[in-house]
Amino acid sequence: MSATALAAPATPAPARRLDPLALLALPGLAFLGVVFLLPLLLLLWSSIRGAEGFSLQGYVRVLGDPYYVGVIGASLQLGLVTTLGALLLGYPAAFALARAKGGWQVLLFALVFLPLTVSIIVKSFGWGIVLRRDGILNWAMLNLGLIERPVRMIFTEGALYAGMINVFLPFMVLPIYSVVRMMDPRLPDAAATLGASPWFRFTRVTLPLSLPGVVAGVSLVFSLAVAAYVTPSLLMGDRYMTMSMVMAKAFLNLRDWQLGAAMAAVLLAVAAFVVVGASVLQRRLGGR
Amino acid sequence: MTGMAALQQAGHLTVAGASKRFGAALVLDDLSLAVAKGEFVSLLGPSGCGKTTLLRCIAGLLRPDAGHISVAGRDITTLPAHRRNVGVVFQNYALFPHLTVAENIAFGLRAQGVSKSESAPRVAEALALVRMTEHAGKPVTALSGGQQQRVAVARALVVRPSLLLLDEPFSALDRKLRETMQVELKHLLREVGITAIFVTHDQEEALVVSDRIAVMNAGRIEQLADPATLYGRPASLYVLDFVGQSTRLAGQVTEAAGGMLAVQTALGPVRAPGQFAPGSRVVVAVRPEAVVLGEAAENRIAARVREVSFLGSRTQLHLDLPEEGEDRGVVELPRLPEGIGPGSAVTLAFREADTMVFPAP
Amino acid sequence: MERLGLGIAWTALVLVILFLLLPIVVVIPVSFTEATVFRFPPEGFSLQWYAKIRNVDGLLGALWLSARIAALATALSLLLGTLCAIALVRGAVPGAAAITTFMVSPLMLPGLVLGIALLQAAREVGLRDAWWSLLLAHVVITMPFVMRTVLGSLSLFDFAMVDAARTLGCSYPVALWRVLVPNILPGFVSGALFAFIASFDNYPVSMFLVDVRTKTLPIQLLNYLEISPDPTLAAVSTGLIGLTVLVLILCDRLVGLRRMASI
Ligand SMILES: Nc1ncnc2c1ncn2[C@@H]1O[C@H](COP(=O)(O)OP(=O)(O)OP(=O)(O)O)[C@@H](O)[C@H]1O
Ligand SMILES: [Mg+2]
Repeated sequence: MSATALAAPATPAPARRLDPLALLALPGLAFLGVVFLLPLLLLLWSSIRGAEGFSLQGYVRVLGDPYYVGVIGASLQLGLVTTLGALLLGYPAAFALARAKGGWQVLLFALVFLPLTVSIIVKSFGWGIVLRRDGILNWAMLNLGLIERPVRMIFTEGALYAGMINVFLPFMVLPIYSVVRMMDPRLPDAAATLGASPWFRFTRVTLPLSLPGVVAGVSLVFSLAVAAYVTPSLLMGDRYMTMSMVMAKAFLNLRDWQLGAAMAAVLLAVAAFVVVGASVLQRRLGGR
Repeated sequence: MTGMAALQQAGHLTVAGASKRFGAALVLDDLSLAVAKGEFVSLLGPSGCGKTTLLRCIAGLLRPDAGHISVAGRDITTLPAHRRNVGVVFQNYALFPHLTVAENIAFGLRAQGVSKSESAPRVAEALALVRMTEHAGKPVTALSGGQQQRVAVARALVVRPSLLLLDEPFSALDRKLRETMQVELKHLLREVGITAIFVTHDQEEALVVSDRIAVMNAGRIEQLADPATLYGRPASLYVLDFVGQSTRLAGQVTEAAGGMLAVQTALGPVRAPGQFAPGSRVVVAVRPEAVVLGEAAENRIAARVREVSFLGSRTQLHLDLPEEGEDRGVVELPRLPEGIGPGSAVTLAFREADTMVFPAP
Repeated sequence: MERLGLGIAWTALVLVILFLLLPIVVVIPVSFTEATVFRFPPEGFSLQWYAKIRNVDGLLGALWLSARIAALATALSLLLGTLCAIALVRGAVPGAAAITTFMVSPLMLPGLVLGIALLQAAREVGLRDAWWSLLLAHVVITMPFVMRTVLGSLSLFDFAMVDAARTLGCSYPVALWRVLVPNILPGFVSGALFAFIASFDNYPVSMFLVDVRTKTLPIQLLNYLEISPDPTLAAVSTGLIGLTVLVLILCDRLVGLRRMASI
């Protein structure tokens, strides 16, 4: 019996066929394919389509005009400053949050979480109340004797950065928090028993281990901030044009589809770069 | 089909010619197995040899590509898992974290539509059986490893299954606890009188707990026998290697007469019982406790002590054999003789009757 | 040094929380002011702005529309997203990593770009109905939140538990219902909550898809803010904040807030 079994495989191996469970992914994939990917491709297509056939006119207008190049620069700068500010504030805060004990952690977590669930319009509106000439900040500083008369804060760049950081900070804190919380607190201790100084422990053990959270937070905040529309338009209006604001203007006011589509493509490229970069980084970090 | 009928008569559980493929890999290869009622059988084999796959087929969680499975004379090959009444203790227990200890144990009864009032005393009984009564209300996540294991056993037993399958139930426990739980489980299962199949890759564990052991190799059962036979008369070199230790020598049969063989090895002639044609290439082997130092038996070979291991009740010598290589021999003695240590030259002696012969691989 | 680090971390956390809450909390006293402007500190106490909410054109209608769209979009993406997540975790899906990235990528995509793309596509295929294009768009917006959370909790789930339930007498669907569902419920609830909020609060995508009669709440609010900024808006905001706190408490009771951290 075993001799015949050895002589020839009993049944030919079945051809590799698709796992039926894999088919469950299809409805969702098909939906996003039609309602998400296809429209994006269509938009890109229209950015290279002029009145008569193929044309790069839109891109020439966007990338050749110092004004629009300035807008792109301003958007990137806004994204960078917001991300940096959120990281500097959020990283240590996420650590404290992850290391908080029991009931405290629930409470503190809820306090960080709540702003995320409040409408961005409400927050921007509230930020306006804080910064107004007769707002809470001026009132507090006047009463403390820090200033003689109310200072103008709203519609300044500083106010814009503060407002942006305010809106996007939770997107930095939460991913870092969830990575740090999962981190084994004995690892830095283990490093300590090997004679590592606190600084060495932080830079060689804690920091690298928390990097996946940082990558997630940074990529999320940057891609959200660089494309922000509501907060900059409420806090600065036309004084600080971002790519999103140019796009909105091009489509809604100027009805200049070519310009809008080209600007959209540039913004899309930035976003795609961040998404792909982050996932490559993430896989690298995960692979270690 | 006649083979199937014969198997069915032999056992409470019978697996006849089961095969299972995953892609190109043949994980169960025409495997047959019969287990008698009330028997405790271990499946022993290296990682990946198909133990879990066989259990899953018996439990109905997997359908074999070919072959039949029957319990108590009834063919259950096509019966879905939830109608087989086969209890399973899973590898990492698979306790339900959203339920308490008592709710976990009651789960099967509730699923089978047993009323609350009727299930309560049975759950209490099962809790008492595994000595977990005082933990009834705890969430299972709050239990230690040994306690979780007991809950998993109680959960599987409370539905009064016709068969209990255990997939490496002790692998997550530390050595001390594992040893206590092994004895405890053996005792418990005998008390309940259930037929059980127990998967392990730990040979000592298999020897301790089971009535019979099935040694598996690449989707087939290599030998199914009681522990003493398995150890004393292994059916193949594979089983010899997998269960226990041995000293082995390669050789060639020079003479065969009256069931006795003379084998020429690099270390000299050895005689052993067996049926081989003269000229066959073979491996002769002897278990460590069958060997003495000196000249007190028929077969003798020279060796050099490599390392001495004190095991408490016994002492083990690991030996270098000239021509064969380093660390090729092992001897077990009640105590270490005076003057023997690493580097000593010794003579090993063992009886012809204790010498085993296998075809060379 | 160790203590210095901890001190910095705790100070940062306290600052972060104060900073985050500031613009939310200031809205509340302003909503009770007697004055017709937002001046701080608010003068007197009155509920007049709350009474005025009813009179604001289209506000309640917008609230109702946003709630309906958010609920429907959430339900749809829960359905599609969960199926997809099951396939990714349990099935042998070729290119699973790429598919996961694709399914969550709308989260990182500039909202306006998505809005414009959808507007253009809707025109291309002749979909003129604002309600339907809003719903489709919001399913896209909510999908990443559902995917992330459901994928997360599914990959933590030990499917041996489903086998255990089956050997104990549950058929496959019943086993899924009694073991899988209770265990991944937190993922579901937090995914649903995030999805609902993302849809309910969306401005940049919706702004291209609304029409005169079909306006979502954020659009209507911003409109109102631009046309007649008065403390009515503070009253509406306070109401929304109260609602959010209520929902959060509910979710905490249901599944525990901390389990919902994974955005
Ligand atoms: N669902 C599956 N799909 C594909 N291959 C599988 C599947 N289940 C098991 N295998 C393969 O079948 C072989 C046998 O697996 P099985 O789990 O039965 O081994 P095992 O003897 O229980 O090993 P271990 O001691 O490690 O638990 C392995 O090579 C495994 O990779
Ligand atoms: Mg196994």
